Amino acid sequence: MAKWGMVIDLDKCTGCQACTTACAMENNTLPGESWQDVLYYHEGSYPSAQMKWLPRPCMQCENPSCVHVCPTRATYKDMDAGGIVFVDWNKCIGCKYCMIACPYGVRFYADEKPLLEPDLRDIFPGQKGQLWSPPYQNPEEDWTRGIGVQPKGVVSKCTFCHHKVSKAPPGTPDLDEDNPALKEYVPACVRTCAPKARYFGDLDNPDSNVNRLIGDKHGVRLKDSSGNKPQVYYLGAGAGVPAFQPKPRS
Amino acid sequence: MSNENVMKGAMGTQLLLLSVVVLVISFGFAMMSIMSQGHASFNTNSNIPWGQPIATYLYFALASSGLGMIAALPLVFGFKQFYPIVKRAIFLAFIILISGMAVLAMELGHVFRMLWVIPFNMQIQSAMFWMGVFYVADLLFLLWKMQKMDAGDWDSKTSKQIAIGSFLAVLLASGNLALIFGMMSMRPFWFDGLLPIYFYLTAVASGLAALVFFTYLSHGFSRNKMSQPLQDLMNGALPKLFAAVLGGTLLFIAVRAITGVYTNNPEIYLVWRDYLFASPVYQASLWLGILLPFVLMLSKSLRNQPGTQMLVAVLVFGGLFAERFYFVVGGQVVPLFKGTWEWDLIQYSPSATEWALTFMGSALLFTLYLLGEKVLNLSAMPPAQK
Repeated sequence: MAKWGMVIDLDKCTGCQACTTACAMENNTLPGESWQDVLYYHEGSYPSAQMKWLPRPCMQCENPSCVHVCPTRATYKDMDAGGIVFVDWNKCIGCKYCMIACPYGVRFYADEKPLLEPDLRDIFPGQKGQLWSPPYQNPEEDWTRGIGVQPKGVVSKCTFCHHKVSKAPPGTPDLDEDNPALKEYVPACVRTCAPKARYFGDLDNPDSNVNRLIGDKHGVRLKDSSGNKPQVYYLGAGAGVPAFQPKPRS
Repeated sequence: MSNENVMKGAMGTQLLLLSVVVLVISFGFAMMSIMSQGHASFNTNSNIPWGQPIATYLYFALASSGLGMIAALPLVFGFKQFYPIVKRAIFLAFIILISGMAVLAMELGHVFRMLWVIPFNMQIQSAMFWMGVFYVADLLFLLWKMQKMDAGDWDSKTSKQIAIGSFLAVLLASGNLALIFGMMSMRPFWFDGLLPIYFYLTAVASGLAALVFFTYLSHGFSRNKMSQPLQDLMNGALPKLFAAVLGGTLLFIAVRAITGVYTNNPEIYLVWRDYLFASPVYQASLWLGILLPFVLMLSKSLRNQPGTQMLVAVLVFGGLFAERFYFVVGGQVVPLFKGTWEWDLIQYSPSATEWALTFMGSALLFTLYLLGEKVLNLSAMPPAQK
């Protein structure tokens, strides 16, 4: 089985948020429930101030702290599904310990105050156990893997678009949106990336393009000191996250 | 023994009715909010997943553990002067834990699902799994010990074994509860291998506050109505122990604060500087809720006075509740991987529903306590001690 990994080239990323939008459309997430987001940071001050941005999906860690802390095994890493970390919505009790333990802040409890008004949950009230039921939904649904529109009281997260990548022919080293035979299997955020800053492939396949990019272009993992060992690598300048600084006090 | 328990009379009945009314109102309000709005009725969110309900649960669970540790003084370690409060301590430990669990149950997304998914999935890597195991064991041992004491069995071999088992369960439960926070290296404000010691100290402090308050309440706030052994305890070992654990608590807070402010890590020093110390409520809880009680209890002439002891108990209630709140929320106020979407410490204050849960837990505690005072003889002690 493949070990799916993502490579994000920050020298190509324009911060356009197309990936964020594609993810929200693909997975029917609510505003603020950004399984994929582009985070903006600024660092330093004039004359060397920097503006940074960082696309951030779930890192699908090799050693995921969210999995270790979950008291019910609702959060689990499936090595038979490319090492993707899933949430089984039938087992999640909504204790939110995984959200505490994730160093990357990529888990969401959408049963919260709406980010934007009007509340989409009021406009499209939930049916058949769903937290909300938008009129156009991805027909793919698998609550044991946290795919679809979630019910109330559970945690949700990026699934690396498992419902797409799981249908790729076995042994495929890379899922490249430019290959017409493979484009339907490519995660939404990768497929929509206009500057082609994202790559998706098999980290266990020595011939994969993602491995070549990581080796040749010095791919790094975010917060590697956490020991979580993400399966998402970053290329190019600006892959570090600045230390937190509070708003200046007047 | 002068068993002048005023809670058995009309005053107890009136207080019981009041507690039930507060319980029904607070539970009803919280339940209606949660049923109609879900957890959107809380002010927690994906950036601050744990808020005041978790802090309330922590406060109650640790107060229960503290009472269990105090009960171990006579039952396990042979400090016989503590016998006059031991039955009340065991009973309070039991009902405070029940009250805390009730608050936690209202906070979870799927509480009933928890009852089968935790035992059937056996995720032994999770500290929260062990929290369930140890607190259930704690609860059962407390119930068993209570049943033995109520049957007049104080000194049998089985009774002593239950007491030892109960003490171990208390240590494991509260120590493990500390590690739920203390093992989170990605939350540097909490990450601390010695956190169980801090939790033990503060647990005993909050347990003593509860014990002093409820003991005086049951005797109509009059020491003359207490039995002689109980009066001796209130004039001797108990206030000294209270002073000692308050001093230890202060020492621990000081050490955590000094290392926290000294470090360059913004995820620690900013929490201390810009969240805890910047908050007038935290300042008040620290100086009035912990330091002032410690100073009062240091004075030999003051610490034995009933008025001082009751004042200290109430101040410590408030001080340690705030301590729990700022500890739980403080670990989350530095935004984690949010970029400039969250360009400052995250703001959080509890919603009306979250406050209702805190009141609900407190009202449940009072209700169960008053029922216990009416039905059980909580002032009982071994015949040899009378």
